[in-house]
Amino acid sequence: MPPIALVLPVALPLAAGAAAVLANRLGDTACRAIAAAGVWGAAAAVLGLWLPLRSTLEISLGTLGFGVTLGLRIDAVEVAFSLAIALPVAVLLTVQRREWRESAVIALATAAALLAVEAADVVLTSVAGCTAATLVVIALGIEQLDAPRPRWAILIAAWLALAWAGVQLQVGGGTAGYAVVPVSALTTPVFVLIAFAAVVGSGLYPWRGWASELWSRESLRTAAPAVTLLQPLGLYLLFRTYEMGNGHYPQAVLNIAVAAWGVLVAFAAAVRAQAAPTRRAYIAEVLPSLAGFAFLFAAVGSKLGLVAALIVLASGSLLVISLPLVAGRSGAPALLVTSAGVGVPAGLAFGGLLIGLVAAFETGGAIGLIGLAGVATWLLAAAAAARSIRLPSGWTGTVADSRPVLAAALAAVALVAGPALGVVYAAGFAIAGLVLPSSGAAPALTTVATVSTVLPAAVLLGPLLVISALALGFSRPMPATPRAELSPPLFMLAGARRLYRGWAMVRSVSMPDQYRSMFNARALEGAVAAGRPVLWLAAVLALCIAVTR
Amino acid sequence: MTAAAAIAAWVGGSLILLSDGRRGLALGLAVLGGGLAGLALDAGHAFAAVALAAGGAGAGALRLREGADGWGIMPPGSTPRLILATVSALIALYLAAVITEGPGAGFRFAVPAVIAVLALRLLLGADRAAAGAAASGIALALGVGSLLSTGGAPEATCIAAAVVAAGLQAITHAEPDGA
Amino acid sequence: MEPELAVALPAAGWACTAALRPRPRMALAAGAVFGAGGVAAILFSAPGSASTDLGVSLTITAAARAMLVVAAVALAFVVILAPARAERSTMLRWGLAGLAGMAAIAVAPSLDVALIVLLALFVLQAAALGRRPYLSRLRGPLLAVALIGLGLVFARMGGPPALQRIAAVGLVTGLVAAIGAVPFVQEFDAEEMTATSPMPWLTFVGPLLAVVVVARGRELIPGQVDVLGALLIALGLVNVAYGSIAAWRVDSAAAAWRYLFMADWGLVMCGLGLGVADGLRAALLILFGLLLVRLPLYLWSRQALRDNVQNDRPVNLLVAAALAGSAPFAGFPARVLLLKGATAMYWPLALVLAPLLLLWIPAGLRLGRTLGAPTGRQLFGVAIALAVSVVLGAYPQPLLSLAGL
Repeated sequence: MPPIALVLPVALPLAAGAAAVLANRLGDTACRAIAAAGVWGAAAAVLGLWLPLRSTLEISLGTLGFGVTLGLRIDAVEVAFSLAIALPVAVLLTVQRREWRESAVIALATAAALLAVEAADVVLTSVAGCTAATLVVIALGIEQLDAPRPRWAILIAAWLALAWAGVQLQVGGGTAGYAVVPVSALTTPVFVLIAFAAVVGSGLYPWRGWASELWSRESLRTAAPAVTLLQPLGLYLLFRTYEMGNGHYPQAVLNIAVAAWGVLVAFAAAVRAQAAPTRRAYIAEVLPSLAGFAFLFAAVGSKLGLVAALIVLASGSLLVISLPLVAGRSGAPALLVTSAGVGVPAGLAFGGLLIGLVAAFETGGAIGLIGLAGVATWLLAAAAAARSIRLPSGWTGTVADSRPVLAAALAAVALVAGPALGVVYAAGFAIAGLVLPSSGAAPALTTVATVSTVLPAAVLLGPLLVISALALGFSRPMPATPRAELSPPLFMLAGARRLYRGWAMVRSVSMPDQYRSMFNARALEGAVAAGRPVLWLAAVLALCIAVTR
Repeated sequence: MTAAAAIAAWVGGSLILLSDGRRGLALGLAVLGGGLAGLALDAGHAFAAVALAAGGAGAGALRLREGADGWGIMPPGSTPRLILATVSALIALYLAAVITEGPGAGFRFAVPAVIAVLALRLLLGADRAAAGAAASGIALALGVGSLLSTGGAPEATCIAAAVVAAGLQAITHAEPDGA
Repeated sequence: MEPELAVALPAAGWACTAALRPRPRMALAAGAVFGAGGVAAILFSAPGSASTDLGVSLTITAAARAMLVVAAVALAFVVILAPARAERSTMLRWGLAGLAGMAAIAVAPSLDVALIVLLALFVLQAAALGRRPYLSRLRGPLLAVALIGLGLVFARMGGPPALQRIAAVGLVTGLVAAIGAVPFVQEFDAEEMTATSPMPWLTFVGPLLAVVVVARGRELIPGQVDVLGALLIALGLVNVAYGSIAAWRVDSAAAAWRYLFMADWGLVMCGLGLGVADGLRAALLILFGLLLVRLPLYLWSRQALRDNVQNDRPVNLLVAAALAGSAPFAGFPARVLLLKGATAMYWPLALVLAPLLLLWIPAGLRLGRTLGAPTGRQLFGVAIALAVSVVLGAYPQPLLSLAGL
């Protein structure tokens, strides 16, 4: 295949988005089909480009004019993240009805997100990431302007920070290409900027951020693609930083910091989940919790950790499709989705969380302690999931475009993939090896070998899966729980209410009506321009004195 | 001759600063043009001198068309302007004679002094006629200022300055407002 | 002969449109023909090679030529897609006058001649009927000319280095006063016709003027280029902070547009002051965006501003993104280049600049709404402006190459 074909994963959804705009007279369904086809095409193109050779492909298409070359690269890492982005968006575009403007903008945002992942350069990633973020905010605004959405300023700040990191790499190392930047150019300040971009661009905070608030929108039609398009990019940056640092972050303390942040995010999500008053509020915390774990595992600094992060990412990709499709429903589909999300044995998420925590313990030291916190968080999340089954749904009436059967099928895939963890692990091992090179034999397909143990995935998780299936098969649905009998939260964080009230008070602070700001541009303009412009003379005089000292 | 010309230029600029009537402004422009022309002639730029003199005279003549009647030189309340004109001259003299070096002291005095007093005319309040006269005066000063440089076609600059100085006085105001 | 024609043809176009004022269509046609001829003459002028057909050596730099071309395209853009209630022949008349003046400034053999042309332009604009008092319209611009003139004089005097530094002060403050940025803010009346307001200096003539003054200034005082740069950066930062906050907080949306332009000029001044190629590229990119995107959007917003119509449709969100400097629009690569230049020259400057860049977002969101609900030709124009911004944002190299970078 000619090298120019590397543009296909970006060009196809871009063209589809443009075509959807131009063909809007054909109707919403036709435009949605065009957009979906473009995104499916992108996913197919990624696989079609990489599978035949299974090695890194690169192309440089010339300089763009702002210190950036349009360089594209496809390797296993790119394939993993591209599929994590493109496949959920493609499925959601296919099954959910939406108007033509939303379809077009989501297709364009997908193109931008894929460019961010396929870019060979940090600065190009920042441009593409910012584009994706902008388009996501616009898509959310098209759907419903006054519903919760990410703060634009924060998202732009994140990608601007990444751009700044990129130019620092260019200035310090002569290039910002992931594969060629000198290790010495990846300094702590540069890493801090990249980590800031990763965290803020993904919306992963210990407090309730947009990653959770999006799920409280009346319609989840655009919330799910928004999460799909933006959250994986943060994890992607953490992966590529290993490549730039030749397998390391600039300092070990940075690994600890990112890991601590990740577990804090997961823990906070779990705390909110166990106190959720409705299933809808619980669902809002599932993906942030998994994303927090992914960050934790990625920061561990070992190949095992990276593989675990990839497995959690894969689980998240299946869940981001299932969650909106099962919204407002109860019964087996909701149970399967909830189980898949929390990491019930013997699902894919279970395997990922297990491997990740093992990786943290094997690293030891502070990371090991953080791993302990991760275990506690997982247990708390499991308890929250168990509580959520008996919660009221939180949706009024039937949610449009819910597809419980499809959601259940995807959740089932996530669950039955557990025994195949060895295969998934082997694939992840090959992917992680691109950014964290190490010597060692290729892993077996039925077991997961770590430093301290060997996990017989197929043998252990297979029977567990059978037992779980039997238990589900023999179970009977419980009658609806009256509100008065709802289980209270497991615990309330001490001081949480006070903190919340204090923050609400701070946000409600406003200037009294009688207050007149000193910063009154019009008044200043009038004073300066009218009458005797003393300020002008004074400014000139002051500058003359300043330069002659 | 240089000193006389430089002082004449300053006097012309000061007249524009201190006058409110059209005759005073016209006289100021003519004297300014004459003074600057003298400086140019003394420096060996005869063509430029003729242009500057013509520009000043032309601007002065056209200035007589509109504005307040009479001379209006040093009207009541113009003492601050007089002081500023004097101070500007002293500063310019200090600059030309003490701070800077080389030939062309007359230029180094006249050009900054003239530009300074004309700028003050605008900043301290001026009607349409005085503002227009100040603009023409600045144009003439810029023209002669180019004679300080070694390249850049100073003769052409002086001609352009003279044309613009006269032309600015020929502009009639208040075109119809567009969309 | 091209530099001479680059001045003469737009001037002739202006004269024709003025003479044919009672017959707007003919005026439009005549102006268009002469204007197109002027643009062709500009394009065919080889940067750096002198023309002495008039006995005076006229040259044009690559950057100035690029700015002229872009200004001409912007003029054509706004005239062809003028708002419904705007008089196109009047817009073209004013635009050609500005273009002729800009061409004269660009090809002038020295900064003195350019300054004299600028003076004439200022007075001609002030002579037209406007809402602001005559003195108010003339005072700031003439002070600008006086300051630059004093700068030229000081630069040519032999003496201590302090004189050259004062010359730098004169050049920079004069430039800032000419465009009407902080602290030389001019009075602004939102109801005034754009052509007679301070806006043309901020958005149309100002870009070329800045390129010419800074380039000539560097040649004039080569020993004090650092001081020149430092002054530009200092005033640039003041304008960035003041302009972006004022654009967000000021009560009048029309005034907010002006302050946003001032903030953009702040970035331009920082870019020009950095003195490195990346800084110059950033400055030019912002100026190109100002001409091709922001100026047309401002003109199209005026009717909605008068009718007090605000909207939050997708097109308004896209405009907000473009105004906020978000990718994929032209503002983002300019910011990347600025950060790169600042990091290379003096990294604390980048530390100051980076958070300030976020202040465009609330202003952008506010001003995006002021476009109202564009329809028909206006919607088409907005779409083209946004497309141009995307092209500039994704692939600015051709335009930068035209500017010699």
